[in-house]
Amino acid sequence: METLQYALRKLLAGLPLLFGVTLVSFALMVYFGPDLTYSLLGKNPTPEQILEVRQQLGYDQPFLQRYLGFLREIVTLDFGNASTGEPVTALLAKTIPVSLILILPGFILGHVVGLLLALAAAYWRGRWPDKLIMAVAVLGMSVSFLIVIIGFQIVLSSSDGLDLFPVRGWNASSLGSYLSYVTVPTLATMFVALGYDTRFYRSVIVEEMSRDHVRTARAFGLPESRIFLRNILKNCLIPFITRIMFSIPQVAIGGALLIESYFGIPGIGKATYEAIVTGDQPVLKAVVSLTAILFVLVVVLNDILYRVVDPRVTLR
Amino acid sequence: MNAVTLAGPAPVRQRGESLWRKAARKFGRDRIGMLALGVVLLYFVAALGVWLGWWAGGWGDLTGVKWEAVSRAHWFGTNIIGQDIFHRAIYSTATAFEVGLVVALVATAIGAVLGAVAGFFVGTVLDDVLLWCMGVLDAIPFYLFVAAVAYALTGNAWAMHVAMVATFWVGTARLIRGEVIKLRGMEYVLAAHSIGVSQVAIIFRHILPNTSHILLVQASITFVSAIKAEVILSFLGIGIRDGMSWGLMIDESTKEVLAGFYNNFLAASLLMFGLVMAFNAVADALQDALDPRKVG
Repeated sequence: METLQYALRKLLAGLPLLFGVTLVSFALMVYFGPDLTYSLLGKNPTPEQILEVRQQLGYDQPFLQRYLGFLREIVTLDFGNASTGEPVTALLAKTIPVSLILILPGFILGHVVGLLLALAAAYWRGRWPDKLIMAVAVLGMSVSFLIVIIGFQIVLSSSDGLDLFPVRGWNASSLGSYLSYVTVPTLATMFVALGYDTRFYRSVIVEEMSRDHVRTARAFGLPESRIFLRNILKNCLIPFITRIMFSIPQVAIGGALLIESYFGIPGIGKATYEAIVTGDQPVLKAVVSLTAILFVLVVVLNDILYRVVDPRVTLR
Repeated sequence: MNAVTLAGPAPVRQRGESLWRKAARKFGRDRIGMLALGVVLLYFVAALGVWLGWWAGGWGDLTGVKWEAVSRAHWFGTNIIGQDIFHRAIYSTATAFEVGLVVALVATAIGAVLGAVAGFFVGTVLDDVLLWCMGVLDAIPFYLFVAAVAYALTGNAWAMHVAMVATFWVGTARLIRGEVIKLRGMEYVLAAHSIGVSQVAIIFRHILPNTSHILLVQASITFVSAIKAEVILSFLGIGIRDGMSWGLMIDESTKEVLAGFYNNFLAASLLMFGLVMAFNAVADALQDALDPRKVG
């Protein structure tokens, strides 16, 4: 009950953020965005037709009124139709599940593998496994996401490489074909996040390892494994959770956009990319507002998780 | 009676080592850091030559036929329409430096000023407003933001720079804000207050210079981020408009890679990898050298 109250209060506190995001995206994408009048008209329109379309698009109304209309669309989840004529909500319902099953394996595996590597590096701190892992992490950080995608595609999917997986496309009708299509994107997402994640996890663990209470526990003769789990890792949980939670919005849009448009996977990222290229405002509106909402939810969930792992945190 | 000489022997000046001198000494002993700095300088010379018009001027000329192999005339071969890949890759180095330097300098400067102001006036409305701005910019997906800015500026060549600066200053500002909150409670700031130094002078002459080690590291990190973002944005078609860049080369190469011609892809990605790797190493070495907690 207390948690629920807290969550609601936090959600309310997120409202200014939502207001800001919608205001900025409205101003940039709609008010100063591309003029759609002429793309909706046929050849040689009469002045009356132009006026009519401009009225229909609301171009003759003042800024505030148009912004309120924009907000109304978001609150009622009625974004209108995409330029293809398909309702935006239908487009979202079709594309978001694809993106979820595409991104999730790489997201989870990336964090798990990064954590394991960081544990190994911290355990052998200063010795060769640590140096090796950290050197590879800097290497991984220096490769562009785009190059990773193309490189993995050449090595794993092309006829010049191992030729194990389909070059591009998507088919999740059966588990076998899902796995064959999802492998290369998953490896690419993992690879690109691994360097940054491993370094971050290692630095947190090493910082916690050098605390006084760890030395005290060691002096008391507690078993090393117990110290590692209960005295060190438990204290690392808050930075870890923050890291994982805040990478969700980034992966959901940034990662999906590039992977999907490159591999031709019909998810939300590709839909967004196409909307960017063609200036399809209803879709962009929907994506921006949904990401902003996701962001606020992540912030709230993050604070609640703090409370779960650390009883000292009070939900004020 | 002889006049008493009031001046005793001149006091020996405390030979304290400044943070910067110490950092330079530590950096000089960091072999990987020095090597990486050398590599960055090498890239910079390549970029400088392009700006001064010494080489790579013919990046757009058709000097050969389609997909020529590596030869003395074409060091990295030619691309799909017969342009010299080596010239294009070197020209792109200058583009990368242009994007990286402009974005890193402007974003770090904005982040420093706004972060310092937010930190100094922590808890006031001004701080709240600045934090709100940072939150809003964080919550908008980067690629969408760039696309939106590109549209709002209707095809302006600087749209990408503006969008990157508008998002990249936030990280620096948050760090500086935290540091300034720490510094503003120190005695020397109190002393400055009590002798009537104005708030503007305190922020910009007394506090901000003491965060310059953070700013240097942040600028180098922003430089790397800008180069990496440019490649992806150019590939998506919302980046560099006129000119040549590694991102545009990679975009070009995706058609060639499927046909089994890798020179364009390899030239752009290896050159980019080298610069980013070296810059990352420099940033790491800087961070180590400027960290006062690390003895050396």
